[in-house]
Amino acid sequence: MEKLLLRNIDKENSHTIEVYLKNGGYQSLRKALKEMSPEDVIEEVKLSGLRGRGGAGFPTGLKWEFAAADLKEPKFFVCNADEGEPCTFKDRVIIEKDPHALIEGMLIGAYATGCRYGYIYLRGEYPIGRKILEKAIGEAYEKGFLGENILGTDFSFDLYIHSGAGAYICGEETALIESLEGKRGEPRIKPPFPVNAGYLWKPTVVNNVETLANIPLIIERGGKWYSGIGSPDCPGPKLYPVSGKVKKPGVYELPMGTLLSEIIYEHAGGIVQDRKLKAVFPGGASSSVLTADEIDVPMDFPSLAKAGTMLGSGAIMVLDETDCIVKAALRLIEFFRHESCGKCTPCREGTDWLVRIMRRIEEGEGREEDLDVILSVSETMENSFCGLGMAAHNPVASSVRKFREEFLTHIKLGRCPYRRG
Amino acid sequence: MTLAEFREEIRKLKETKKYPELKSYLLPALWIAEKNFPAITHDVMRVVSEELSVPLVEVEEVARFYAMFHTEKKGKFIIRVCTNLSCMLRGGEEVLSELCRLLNVKPGETTPDGLFTVEEYECMGLCDGAPAVTVNEDRYTNVEVEELPEILKKYGWKG
Repeated sequence: MEKLLLRNIDKENSHTIEVYLKNGGYQSLRKALKEMSPEDVIEEVKLSGLRGRGGAGFPTGLKWEFAAADLKEPKFFVCNADEGEPCTFKDRVIIEKDPHALIEGMLIGAYATGCRYGYIYLRGEYPIGRKILEKAIGEAYEKGFLGENILGTDFSFDLYIHSGAGAYICGEETALIESLEGKRGEPRIKPPFPVNAGYLWKPTVVNNVETLANIPLIIERGGKWYSGIGSPDCPGPKLYPVSGKVKKPGVYELPMGTLLSEIIYEHAGGIVQDRKLKAVFPGGASSSVLTADEIDVPMDFPSLAKAGTMLGSGAIMVLDETDCIVKAALRLIEFFRHESCGKCTPCREGTDWLVRIMRRIEEGEGREEDLDVILSVSETMENSFCGLGMAAHNPVASSVRKFREEFLTHIKLGRCPYRRG
Repeated sequence: MTLAEFREEIRKLKETKKYPELKSYLLPALWIAEKNFPAITHDVMRVVSEELSVPLVEVEEVARFYAMFHTEKKGKFIIRVCTNLSCMLRGGEEVLSELCRLLNVKPGETTPDGLFTVEEYECMGLCDGAPAVTVNEDRYTNVEVEELPEILKKYGWKG
């Protein structure tokens, strides 16, 4: 497939505005501002069928329409660059290699929704990305793509970077907004949604990095063209970050809906040392695990939901036959315990209990009844305040369901059968 | 940095007019503190509180909430070792334990000479180069246990 989202990244100095402009950069912004009304832009994005690439998969055009319809001023346009889902590193590639595609996407979105100010909420762990984005924003101001009366029109937009400081929860859009306001990152109740009451309770659009990188393409080539790529009900190119026990870990751009097995074996080179594949978390740490028999599944929102898991960030984590599923699931729930903000009980207590139970099983001190307790705690966690707690138990509960024998082996042997030494 | 200089930096930050209200400057102000002080102490927080008109307790709760802010004294170099899933599968735990052995510290601790703080860290988005380690803002990927002494020496480790 023709590279679309990653079309620039192999070019020398792809992060500079010179290279971006030479390859047609900011032409979509020009087209949007000079030839299209804000409504036209929203229609085009709706026609494209683009759904958010941060994890939730909400239709981008619809989000923009809601924001445009709210007349409170000022409005804010926020890029969610708090890429914290474990084993997700797709946005990092755009931030570091093609920052102007992100900026152009934000500008077009801000024009369509009537936003005057923008923030890129960048995770604190990306200091290199911060320097690149700062330079790119400076270049865009210099060339007149940011600031007052952009390209001689009435449209003005100022853009700033806001650095996070190491809190996964801030990837949740309302927690992100709290953090932008200088608070602990704790989620807010929804509704109201950020499009109506976001930063400082003003209308705020929050879009993921990869989502925004699609926008210049959609404006350049049209929503109809875009909607023909990949899965019909959630079209477009998709970035799949693949890591773990594959021969070639990396970010692969493929049409939405590419088979998981194809991504692992054809693109990521198959399993290290040609071992057997054991399990895959197909959509980041919050997704339910798939077994080796379940990987002929299209990697898109509806297909993975049907398979009992989710696309999430599209981060594919691969385990081979020498890896312990109990240990893997334990490590993921440890992560969620650390990142739970503590606001609601099901998540705060649930992640803690799951860590304790999983740890004792891994250490050979588990009991068979523990497995039912795990599933019961998981069910309770469905009642968490935000998506973190609702999904945090997925890797653990799904591992218990699909690898019950392996858990029982730990319990019967009184040790982890995979532990070396 | 002195507290007076820090106050001056926050004032400069406010002059950027980056945010429409004062409290939003809290994270950027704490970032300046994190980069220029060994710890974000109460004295440091008090300056933030005064300059941004935010109650001290709200400054402290934010400083303590975020993993990258240090309210206890940290080393000159923070070594973060990822042990989240992809790094764990590729040896992140071995890297962490060897590093702790070389420096004779436990995760979270600082060497007695104040040079290094070792942290077991969550995913840093470097999973294509697992296992990953960062030293302040420098990245190391596909790290092998054997190369740790060499990495440490770059930052003044006498071994």
